[in-house]
Amino acid sequence: MSSITADAASAPTEEKNGPGQPDKNTVLALLQLLRKYNLKATEESLKNEAKLSELPSTQSTSDSDVTNVLSAYKSEGDPQKYEEAYIDLKQFIEGALDVYKHELHTVMYPIFVHMYLELVYNSHEEEAVKFLEKFRKDQEPYYEDDIRKISQVTKREHMKGNELIDTFTSNEFIIRMSRDALSILKRHLQEKKHNVLSNVVQEHLYFDMYEGVARNKQQIDATAGAMIGEATRQDNKSKVYYGMPKEPDIQLSVLVEEEEDGDGGEGDKPKKKKAKKDTLFSRKTKSDPNAPPIDRMPLPELKDAEKLEKAKALREATKRVTLGPETLPSICCYTLLNTSQTVSCVEICEDSSILGVGFIDSMIKLWSLVPQKLRVMKTAEQLADVDMEAEDIMHRIFDDRNAEASRQLFGHSGPVYRLSFSPDRTLLLSCSEDTTIRLWSLMTWTCLVIYKGHTFPVWDVKFSAHGYYFATASHDRTARLWATDQHQPLRVFAGHFSDVDCIQFHPNSNYIASGSSDRTVRLWDNFTGSQVRLMTGHKGPIYSLNFSVEGRFLASAGSDTNVLLWDLAHGHLLAVFTGHTATIHSLAFSRDGNILASGSNDCSIKLWDFTKLTEEVLEEVMNVTHNPEIKKSSENYLLRTYSTKSSPVLGLHFTRRNVLLSVSMFDGN
Amino acid sequence: MAEADPGYGTSLSIESMKVIAESVGLMNLPDDGAKELADDISYRLKILLQDATKFMHHAKREKLMPTDVDNALKIKNIEPTYGYHTSDHIPFRFASGGVREFHFIEEKDLDLNEIISGPMSKLPLAPSIRAHWLCIDGVQPTIPENPPPISKDLQKLESIDPITKLKSNKEKEKTGKPTTGKLQKLRNVETVHVKQLATHELSVEQQLYYKEITEACVGSDEGRRAEALQSLASDPGLHEMLPRMCTFIAEGVKVNVVQNNLALLIYLMRMVKALLDNPSLYLEKYLHELIPSVLTCIVSKQLCMRPELDNHWALRDFASRLMTQICKHFHTSTNNLQTRVTRIFSSALQNIETPLPSLYGALQGLSELGTEVIKVFILPRVKTVADRIESCLDGPSLSNIDKISAGHIKHLLVKVLTPILKVTKSPPDFIDDYRNEFGCLGPALQASVIKARTQASMPTPAVTSAAVTTTSSIIHPAAAGVPNPTRMVYSGTRPVSLANNPQKYVIVSSRPQTPGNIGLQQATPATAQASGVRFQSNFNAPVAHIRPHSSITPNPVTKVVVVCVANSSTTNSGPKSS
Repeated sequence: MSSITADAASAPTEEKNGPGQPDKNTVLALLQLLRKYNLKATEESLKNEAKLSELPSTQSTSDSDVTNVLSAYKSEGDPQKYEEAYIDLKQFIEGALDVYKHELHTVMYPIFVHMYLELVYNSHEEEAVKFLEKFRKDQEPYYEDDIRKISQVTKREHMKGNELIDTFTSNEFIIRMSRDALSILKRHLQEKKHNVLSNVVQEHLYFDMYEGVARNKQQIDATAGAMIGEATRQDNKSKVYYGMPKEPDIQLSVLVEEEEDGDGGEGDKPKKKKAKKDTLFSRKTKSDPNAPPIDRMPLPELKDAEKLEKAKALREATKRVTLGPETLPSICCYTLLNTSQTVSCVEICEDSSILGVGFIDSMIKLWSLVPQKLRVMKTAEQLADVDMEAEDIMHRIFDDRNAEASRQLFGHSGPVYRLSFSPDRTLLLSCSEDTTIRLWSLMTWTCLVIYKGHTFPVWDVKFSAHGYYFATASHDRTARLWATDQHQPLRVFAGHFSDVDCIQFHPNSNYIASGSSDRTVRLWDNFTGSQVRLMTGHKGPIYSLNFSVEGRFLASAGSDTNVLLWDLAHGHLLAVFTGHTATIHSLAFSRDGNILASGSNDCSIKLWDFTKLTEEVLEEVMNVTHNPEIKKSSENYLLRTYSTKSSPVLGLHFTRRNVLLSVSMFDGN
Repeated sequence: MAEADPGYGTSLSIESMKVIAESVGLMNLPDDGAKELADDISYRLKILLQDATKFMHHAKREKLMPTDVDNALKIKNIEPTYGYHTSDHIPFRFASGGVREFHFIEEKDLDLNEIISGPMSKLPLAPSIRAHWLCIDGVQPTIPENPPPISKDLQKLESIDPITKLKSNKEKEKTGKPTTGKLQKLRNVETVHVKQLATHELSVEQQLYYKEITEACVGSDEGRRAEALQSLASDPGLHEMLPRMCTFIAEGVKVNVVQNNLALLIYLMRMVKALLDNPSLYLEKYLHELIPSVLTCIVSKQLCMRPELDNHWALRDFASRLMTQICKHFHTSTNNLQTRVTRIFSSALQNIETPLPSLYGALQGLSELGTEVIKVFILPRVKTVADRIESCLDGPSLSNIDKISAGHIKHLLVKVLTPILKVTKSPPDFIDDYRNEFGCLGPALQASVIKARTQASMPTPAVTSAAVTTTSSIIHPAAAGVPNPTRMVYSGTRPVSLANNPQKYVIVSSRPQTPGNIGLQQATPATAQASGVRFQSNFNAPVAHIRPHSSITPNPVTKVVVVCVANSSTTNSGPKSS
């Protein structure tokens, strides 16, 4: 695993230094990598080319990567110089023209961090602490968390193995800057000739320059906050097929009402939502130019039972209330009692018939939310007697006698962090602290498969909307794509700098989005396995993600208590909804895509007017270079707030008829 | 490190290291070694805690638990500490002795025998789910499962600073509180929002509720009334109806005082009590209506049709307690509530013209306000009052009403002054001193104080005996010359009043019950019950507890309860025979 990340990290470095003299450290790192994998011939040729006769061979191979990169911090500089250089830079930025001031200010934080680390690395502990305390109040408040983590490191030996320091040292901090601001900065650095300063800029900063007017404070703050700076434009250039493909026709027209004709037959779940009077893309479902080709991602064939289920869903959908600011949904709240502090996740299946709850004591408990109880399949002997040709075979195979209103599943050996129902409601996935993912059958109520692959706790698991595929997110900083019939993951998405906390399938199953503790949201292409979007702007770990119904927009939220909305077409931040006062753990779009609901630990549910936002957004012309205005006036979009009685909201789910179900845990303390 | 240092406690000290080193048998750890260790361990602990918070967040909690730390240890490939689980916060204790200061966790020795032989601890309850409507079509129903539409804190803030309401008005429209749908739409159309503060529209359901509740509260069905009062005292969604409820009470009192309808006044006061008890309501905005009503019920000259028969004293007592409750809840340095109320009572006390029932009310109102108030406002006036009632008690010709009033006043004064005099006066109680100081009340007070002194030295069970009854028996030898007014009242009028009374009265709880009642009940217990004597619901346990009247406790619940039911006679006869 580590080799892949190291590779990915070093590759761009090489490119950037390409035209000039190759950076000695980079070459050394490469040589060590080659030696590690015993690629002698390449090593020799590289040595010759770089005119390096001897490789410093003192370091052991195990920690060579880190030590090597850290050695960039080696300097004989006088510790006093750092402070002088920093103060000088600060004065220069404060004296700059107002237009450039804010953009220039973005270099302060990375320079501050790297200077501190340099001081620590060179064992100037006291000076380092003094430096940190003196300038830490100048930094933006959203970096405070990271500064606190960095401030704990006061010794050279602590630098190794610290997640955050590793990230800082092995990656360049990305700063977006306009051409003018950047040239001013460069000129200043050349004039002043502060060695320490220009070293840091040279080694650890990467400027993503763009033409045009410098951004103002609000614009910068909106997208700042990620662990190592903003996304480069290059990150978001590739095309994303965010549309919904036309589903293969299913012969269901008999079951579907007249008005659903035409597009009713396709009948996939997200498709069906779009088929309804969608305010955004009304009736142009026939050929969505942004939809991926239908065979881009091989999808499983629909089974007969699933077709029936979809027809049922469509019929339900015709009875749906179209929501809006005037017609707000009803909310049914399921409060979990006697579970104070022991519930770690809740999930409601697509047709709203089963509630699954994962507990920190490894138990999974499922409740039926409908009069129909949870039935077990008959034993093999009994099944032999069942008439295979019968119409109601799916009912006959179940044993009605021992049906129960709730069932428990045991198997994990650690807290269960997420459950996910398959679209056909026969399978359940669960992931846990014990690093495994389990697949359960909801017909026999037994564990079918244990997927092992992650080496650290698995935070999130999600079934694809089409079934068969599922994605996981883990503490090992990777997201992975799996298929239910494979023991090994199909794709490993590496790139996040910290825990991947949450994951979500795009409704067309071609992409997955992941949110992480490095405060970025990334979109990965399941087909190619590459990262296609990198979105920054969150100020804290992200715990919840959801795609809008038509697939173009993404909502994310987490411990910074804001809901951020993204346009996947270009990776732009569209809006920041503020208002919650505690971590947000759930987001849900209504089935007609008009309303976004967010549920938080502050014991409240907020409803946001999503239609209003999309209408305003679509009026603006957008392309990859033009940043849209970020909507921050949350009160314009906030429709209502509903408080629960000291019960943090853990899960939200819209039923097919657009009733919002919320699951909360009563906290008696 | 000094306590004020913000960094205090964020890293381990050298001393801690040494203590820990000693505990594993490593003596004389050098200072720099200890420092190195302390720094390193502090760093490792912080990293560990950072990881532990990740587990906390993924368990969707805001509180770090020992299991989170265990899991964080696990991902670092360190064996977690098994068997250390607690759901509660264990506080660090601080200790300093000799030159050392350190924190520790207290570990108590547990007696295994006790655990084994003791009762089984309860099994934890199984997790369950409960469904309710958080909102219906965008409107949050006011049911107990939902929080009250406007929290008490917000109500409080609004009443202190009305501007906040104007400011937050827009925001509050978004909080899904119940409003009529039409109003909502009207507001969208209207361009000018001028009188939003004055809108007090109630939905149809609320109107129905208001009608039902008010009817039940003043109706004749006691069962329904109990339900209605229960609803007033506990329902979370009454905020919007408060103005109407308070107006209803205020108007009701105005009308019924004029008509001398005692029963209705009592019902209205019980409504006030229920509203005061409701935890989700903040009544300050409506005190201008409630306080005059309650005051009226305390000091009005006449509250009932037949003052000589009806027990309007109970109403005055009950209303006094309400007044105290209001003062306690809502007194602030800005509204000076208690001061103003005290001033009203004391001016009534100073006025020589005040009719005796009002005088009684004023005295009762003051005495409920606490010992200090009694000392300052009642004690200096006792002689004047005594002089006034002396004529009524002794005078041959005056009306019966005055005589009863005077009796009640005397009784009240004896009751409230006894505990104070007991403290302020030193033991040798000479009757002449008392007579000089308190006029005709002197002997009764002196006897009561002596009684109280002797009782204080007696074991507790005696405390529950009937002080009044015993007082009268002791009083005879001491104050031979003075006719015992209390006796006269009881033996003469009380039985008649109850026996002839067709109306259902609520005799509210903690009035010191007169022995006359007891006498009646001993003679004709059936009559007493048949006449429908009722007690405030909290107190209607059929046990006779007569607590010493000396206890002027602020909490009305602990006050005297006298219930006249047949089987209580034994309790009462006890002290009499002694």
